[in-house]
Amino acid sequence: MTSYNVDEPIYAPATAYAPSALAVIRLSGRNTIEMLSHAFSSPSRLNKAAGKTLVHGYIMDDENVRIDEVVLAVYREGSGYTGEEAVEISCHGSLVVLKRLFTRLEQLGFKRAEKGEFTFRAFMHGRMDLTQAEAVEEIIHSKSEISQEKALDRLSGKLRDSLAAVKTRLVDILASLEVQLDYAEDEIIDEWVFPEAEVSSIISSLKALSSTYGASRIYREGAKVVLAGAANAGKSSLFNLLVKEDRAIVSPVPGTTRDFIETWIDLDGIPVRLFDTAGLRSSDDMVESEGIRRSEALMDDADLIIYLVDPDDALLPENIDNDRTLVVYSKRDKRRMADDLSISSVTGEGVSELIGEVKERLMGLSPQEEGGLSIDSERQYSYLLSCIDALESAERSKDAPVDIMAMFFQSALESLGYITGEVTTEDLLDTLFSKFCLGK
Amino acid sequence: MRDYDIIVIGGGHAGIEASSATAREGFSTLLVTQSLDAIGRLSCNPAVGGLAKGNLVREIDALGGVMGHLIDSSMIQYRILNRRRGPAVQAPRAQADKFTYSRNAKELLEHTSNLSLFMDTVTDLLVENGAVIGVVTQRGWKISARAVVLTTGTFMDGRIFIGEYEESCGRLGESAAIGLGSSLRRLGFDVGRLKTGTPARVRRSSLDFDELEVQPGDEEVLPFSFDYDTVDRPRLDCYVTWTNEETHRIIRENMHRSPLYGGRIVGKGPRYCPSIEDKVMRFPDRDRHQIFVEPEGVNSEEMYLNGLSSSLPEDVQHAFIRTLPGLRHCEIMRPAYAVEYDYLNPMDLYPSLESKILSSLFVAGQTNGTSGYEEAACQGLVAGINASLKLRGEEPLILKRTEAYIGVLIDDLVTKGTKEPYRMFTSRAEYRLSLRHDNADLRLTRIGYEKHSASEEKLARLEKKIEDMSSLRSTLKKYRERGKNGLELLREPEVTISSLSQKLPAVLSYAPSIRSEVELDVKYEGYLRRQEAEAQMFSRKENMMIPPDFDYDALKGLSAESREKLKQIRPASVGQAQRISGLRVSDIALLMMGLRAKK
Repeated sequence: MTSYNVDEPIYAPATAYAPSALAVIRLSGRNTIEMLSHAFSSPSRLNKAAGKTLVHGYIMDDENVRIDEVVLAVYREGSGYTGEEAVEISCHGSLVVLKRLFTRLEQLGFKRAEKGEFTFRAFMHGRMDLTQAEAVEEIIHSKSEISQEKALDRLSGKLRDSLAAVKTRLVDILASLEVQLDYAEDEIIDEWVFPEAEVSSIISSLKALSSTYGASRIYREGAKVVLAGAANAGKSSLFNLLVKEDRAIVSPVPGTTRDFIETWIDLDGIPVRLFDTAGLRSSDDMVESEGIRRSEALMDDADLIIYLVDPDDALLPENIDNDRTLVVYSKRDKRRMADDLSISSVTGEGVSELIGEVKERLMGLSPQEEGGLSIDSERQYSYLLSCIDALESAERSKDAPVDIMAMFFQSALESLGYITGEVTTEDLLDTLFSKFCLGK
Repeated sequence: MRDYDIIVIGGGHAGIEASSATAREGFSTLLVTQSLDAIGRLSCNPAVGGLAKGNLVREIDALGGVMGHLIDSSMIQYRILNRRRGPAVQAPRAQADKFTYSRNAKELLEHTSNLSLFMDTVTDLLVENGAVIGVVTQRGWKISARAVVLTTGTFMDGRIFIGEYEESCGRLGESAAIGLGSSLRRLGFDVGRLKTGTPARVRRSSLDFDELEVQPGDEEVLPFSFDYDTVDRPRLDCYVTWTNEETHRIIRENMHRSPLYGGRIVGKGPRYCPSIEDKVMRFPDRDRHQIFVEPEGVNSEEMYLNGLSSSLPEDVQHAFIRTLPGLRHCEIMRPAYAVEYDYLNPMDLYPSLESKILSSLFVAGQTNGTSGYEEAACQGLVAGINASLKLRGEEPLILKRTEAYIGVLIDDLVTKGTKEPYRMFTSRAEYRLSLRHDNADLRLTRIGYEKHSASEEKLARLEKKIEDMSSLRSTLKKYRERGKNGLELLREPEVTISSLSQKLPAVLSYAPSIRSEVELDVKYEGYLRRQEAEAQMFSRKENMMIPPDFDYDALKGLSAESREKLKQIRPASVGQAQRISGLRVSDIALLMMGLRAKK
């Protein structure tokens, strides 16, 4: 069972996870300062820092490359918000930087805080009175709705099935190890052999799953945003406008034929691959039909489609995929559509609302990859990674005795259990008794 | 004035430990048993120890219990199991001369001062103000005491089954204890039924030994007890044979005659120790099952057929047993049988094994739903120690899951209960790498001493051992080769303590047990550290105690279901609460906050 632990090192952003000039990440727990010093440009200065002082320097990644220039507010035990040893990192508010810092902190052994956990600790260390604590109770309680036993229900059907399948396979392997530990060699005669093919196949399916993690993929590959609509709907004007908004334009890449053009833009902090497609209309022109076919393929693959509609011939497309489509009326300077998202590429009216809406959609994205499989939270993602890590450690120590080997598979299952619900000793014994004929 | 300080009901493995513990600690104790001739019987397998169970025996010894001495003085074969499967999970197992074991047990109790033995059957408890104050016996005695330990094994309303035959017995030929079960029901105890079984015994001189594989014991024999270094006992072989298609056919054709199929047995049997008919029906693809033929004693003709327990009728038993190689001409001396008995829901106990329903009543052994001599004995010891501590007015002994298999066992029982006879497995222990059998004394003897159970001599031996181990470590540390010291070298997989001793003969001046223990400590250091970090986190929760009168109704935000569970179990610590099945993370957080607010 997971549970709040008092003084285990944790981290969480204290400011909104959104692009801004500065951001603050809060760390708390036993040994926080020493742990963080391993990624700090001048570790000894940090380690020697007195409580309630500031230390300036750089956070480095695992290859000792600078991630960001930061100011650390150092709190020795008893003085910070939680009452534990704590550090507040003031860094730059770029999402890419925050992302990399989170990854680095997890490598160092900090766990992402559960909701309400900082406040919980503050209360447990007597930094807060009961009235305040009752407010925390509510926070914690709202969390229970999404807590562990419900975790499985929240997962999409296919993801749940595929994680459950992985879990069963891991339970089988662990049961085959446990049986060696629970029964003597004269009863279970076969030696345990490392199931190489099985383990590497489990690792690759977990890796495939983890690569679907929405947010991480968007920062790695960029979000695909496609401008679509009828030929005269004003796509190209909007395209040029969005590109113009972005001063850091790289270079427009013309499509291979005259079907679409693509460019990278930074949409308020989110890397976006913006596509301008050929208009959607049936055509007898061979070249143009090919262009339309490609536009459709592009739209199938998009994270978000901005579907532009000319208010004069307000033709909405059929089969619109509402989850991924933003319908926008153009030519607002000529005719304003009430209640709908409406823009003018000439006057720029409505464009900032559009950008805001696009951003919101992209941030809340759980992308449609093959078969709808996706990991949708940072938390699930990091547990998947630690599961993979445990299995890879097992692979590296193939010759270890079975008692040690069992430890690797136990910890792999434990990580998975945080996503799918716990594996208990009883689950394990059930598997053991149903698969092996045991007992003298 | 009471007749005795403590009364122990039952003379099995739990009763022996409980009564000798309380008497050893100076409390006048009465052991009431149905038969003085049946004290310490090995009713089933003539063996003690095994994986996880061997660890239990050594833990019992480390805490001052007697089981280690009893098996050391009666063993006829000794083996370390799982030598090839990682040193942390190896465990000793010994075949016993069951007659010697039982006789030694009785003599040990007879020679224990402050301990009286009395043959009668307890049928009721005397109760006053919610506390037990004595017992009533079949022959009409009313005996008073300040605390009572209940260890009835399979005897409370026991019924045995051999095919269509059925009789009120606790063991074949020994009558059940009737009356106590209904008295306990009346007092509000949650009484359930469990089932277990035992195989047939066959005559040694009727076996075809040329058809049996020999299974010898280890050359090197080490004592279970930490009190001495060597054991000198006769050594006998065990044998192995296999069932075959013919055996399985006979069993399948007669399944309808099993009492399990007619629904006459309602108690749930253990999955880990299935009857042969169970194995045949559940694993139809297996064309053979392994059977061990084990001697029951040096001078006994009886041989135990390990793996053939059954409740089929005797004529069927005769037919299928004689299809096995080596047993084709065997004479069956005692039939296999199943036994069904009353047990009490262990969730009604505190971790001290004292009843929540009736104060000063302690319950141990099979009565709590466990199976196995070792499981029974360790509970008996803890119950005895805690009954004494209660009379002294001191805090009970509650071992943690990080400290001992005994801690795991009792915590599982009182927190989760059990639906089948509970047996100890290594996989039940989260921190098994540190719960090795050879370091049980390091883990527990000091605790046992502080709780008045382990003697001063035991503590002195422990201190000597700690000294030797640290001196061996510094000897190793001084040695250098390839720029590394001896401890660093020993961490390498291919280096062993014996290969080091060739270059560093000083190592040989230490006892073999010291050498192997230091070796294991060093080799597992990395893994142990990892486990220790987890264990520390775990211990912090265990140390957050919940007062027994904690008001769960006053805790806002708990779900109704969690509130009921917490009120039923009344966990002693936040750690225990966390293991109650179905409780949510948020419930625990609320509980922790409630406790904090109370302070």
